[in-house]
Amino acid sequence: MITIQSLKKNYKETSVVDVSELFIGQNESFGLVGNNGAGKTTLFRLILDLIRCTEGQVLINGKNVQGNDEWKGYVGSYLDENFLIPYLTPEEYFKFVGKLHNYSDEDLKNFYQKFEELFHDEILGKNKYIGDLSKGNLKKVGIAAAFIGNPQVVILDEPFENLDPTSQIRLKQLLKRERKARSITYLISSHDLNHVTEICERIVILEKGKVIKDLKGDNLLAELEDYFKA
Amino acid sequence: MVTTLLSHSWKKLSRSVSFSKELTTTIFLSLFGLMVLGYALALGFGLNKIITDGLKQTDSFQFLNGLMLYYFVFEFMMRYFLQNLPVLDVQPYLHLPLKRSRIVHYLLIKSLSHGANLLVFVLFAPFAFTAIANRFGIASSISWLLSLGLISFCLHYLVLLFKKGLDDTIWGLLTLVSIFSLLGASDYYGWFKLSDLSSSLFALTVQGYVLVALIAILFLGIYFFSFRFFLKGMYPEEVSFGKSSAGKNHDLSFLQNLGSLGDWINLEIKLIIRNKRPRTILFLSAFFLLYGLIFYRNDTYSEKMPGLFLFVGVFITGIFMINYGQFLFSWQSGHFDFTLTRPISLRQFIESKYWLLTTVTVICFLLSVPYAYFGWKILLIHAAMTLFNLGINIFVVMNFAMWEPKKIDLKKGATFNYEGVGAAQWLMAIPLILGPYLFYLPFSLMGYPIAGILAVGVVGLMAILFRAYLIDFTVRRLEKRRYTIAAGFRKD
Repeated sequence: MITIQSLKKNYKETSVVDVSELFIGQNESFGLVGNNGAGKTTLFRLILDLIRCTEGQVLINGKNVQGNDEWKGYVGSYLDENFLIPYLTPEEYFKFVGKLHNYSDEDLKNFYQKFEELFHDEILGKNKYIGDLSKGNLKKVGIAAAFIGNPQVVILDEPFENLDPTSQIRLKQLLKRERKARSITYLISSHDLNHVTEICERIVILEKGKVIKDLKGDNLLAELEDYFKA
Repeated sequence: MVTTLLSHSWKKLSRSVSFSKELTTTIFLSLFGLMVLGYALALGFGLNKIITDGLKQTDSFQFLNGLMLYYFVFEFMMRYFLQNLPVLDVQPYLHLPLKRSRIVHYLLIKSLSHGANLLVFVLFAPFAFTAIANRFGIASSISWLLSLGLISFCLHYLVLLFKKGLDDTIWGLLTLVSIFSLLGASDYYGWFKLSDLSSSLFALTVQGYVLVALIAILFLGIYFFSFRFFLKGMYPEEVSFGKSSAGKNHDLSFLQNLGSLGDWINLEIKLIIRNKRPRTILFLSAFFLLYGLIFYRNDTYSEKMPGLFLFVGVFITGIFMINYGQFLFSWQSGHFDFTLTRPISLRQFIESKYWLLTTVTVICFLLSVPYAYFGWKILLIHAAMTLFNLGINIFVVMNFAMWEPKKIDLKKGATFNYEGVGAAQWLMAIPLILGPYLFYLPFSLMGYPIAGILAVGVVGLMAILFRAYLIDFTVRRLEKRRYTIAAGFRKD
């Protein structure tokens, strides 16, 4: 699904991302952990072609993301507030994004239904612009919008940050449910080891831009805690 | 404590990104400010001479006093546009063990250090210490100047109150305009003569200190009223603007039939209508349509310098395109990443902007048709300039806007907001204004000004016909610059 080949990003002399080879398969749930400044967000931005890589390439479905718009149709993403439009209401925003993916009114209704629980009556019908929402609610809007268009790939940066405990649990349920219903690839970064191991079957530890560990199996949480204790 | 706060505000200024980045703008603005004060000082020194020799008034003191209330109305207007509310930067101090009242005092007193407060002294001190001191003595001249200064300070706080109470409502500006026109009309029709009132009022100031004392008490009253007002309004949620509830649906339904192009145009229309700064640009453009009245009414311009009208024409039909377009990418700086990750090609993105600017320019042209009243030639010029704007200037604007665009915070107001201004925004004006003359002058110098105007129109038309290539060119440039632009927008 996603192939990363000798990908490098340097700012002047310092290397921020340096991944020689990484393959993320279809229907894989891929977690990315690492301390601050490890290059998680930069890696996601490189995958989404938001910054120019110094070397190497990212392929989605065999095609280079650079100079090509096709992947945008089936990759949903939410990294930060730059992905939201502050002067729209959440409804207008969803409708706008929906239109980009040729959603009908019926599709939109189904979409709202799916997220009703996560929204917890705080997002829709509140007559508020996105710019005036709280951090947690902003995150909910962004995550929900990443799922518009039934994407094959969903990329989320710190999805649990700023969410209240109830919402965190609901988000986890939603992410799992979605993957049960259809084939979908997740790329999720998080500082919360509990959450990320609950969602992801494969976890990569990033440090100074490099892949330090690529873990799979049943003992993920223990291995991670072991690593970060040191 | 005060010195610490002062040093913080200095650091805020000197360490802000815009200070170093927009150094040219800062220098330009400070030079401009100095220049204005210099002119005011020169005017102040010449004031007595201008009134007695130039305007042939025998009693310059009485004449000047008669104008004084008008001056203060003018000063109020000027302050309204120049002064900003000081309250916004106190948030980081509110939770610290500092007395709120001290913070408010600090803010109110610090706000006095504004260039506008110098104006009254610069303008009138020379007059006070020459003409008045010679006639009534030095004590009277001080009393006169002090009264003016105190009134000016009163206005300083009144403007702050006014802005906090009524700013960003259409009522604020309407109140100002109606007060101004009411005063003018009353003097003109002689309902009551403000100038007489003004003249006798200020004459009193040289006859002792009673009036000065009264004005000083008034000043203290206004100061303490502002103090209480701002003390009560120190809650961040009341200070920050724009917590507006969403209201109407601003979608234009016919655009929805155009597919995603229409959706993006609709989005941009919402951006313009729902945010203060672009909204002000829209209003200003409507205002600018009247710009022609200054030039077209005057026959000397039209007979001797018809070429000047090209310049006027560029702005009348293109003011929105230029003013909004110069920040074309900065407006959406907050969600540029969104644009890059959603299924829309950069070509569609550019095309949506092209059509938005084109539509508004055509609307401006249609609205300017009544200028035909001043002669068919003007209509011809407007038509030619519209074609030129649509064919050439639109691409000049779009391509210059790509040159290191800066982030714009949509929530901030428009007056004296230089966020987003860089070298490109200054340089852009040169080709925009000189472009048409490149094609007009060869003909007009040979004695065929009409042919020159037609030439400008034909060039514009040609460019419109070849717009596919120009759009291609623009898209390719954006394609190359997208990473730099996106990185710039992510920085604060």
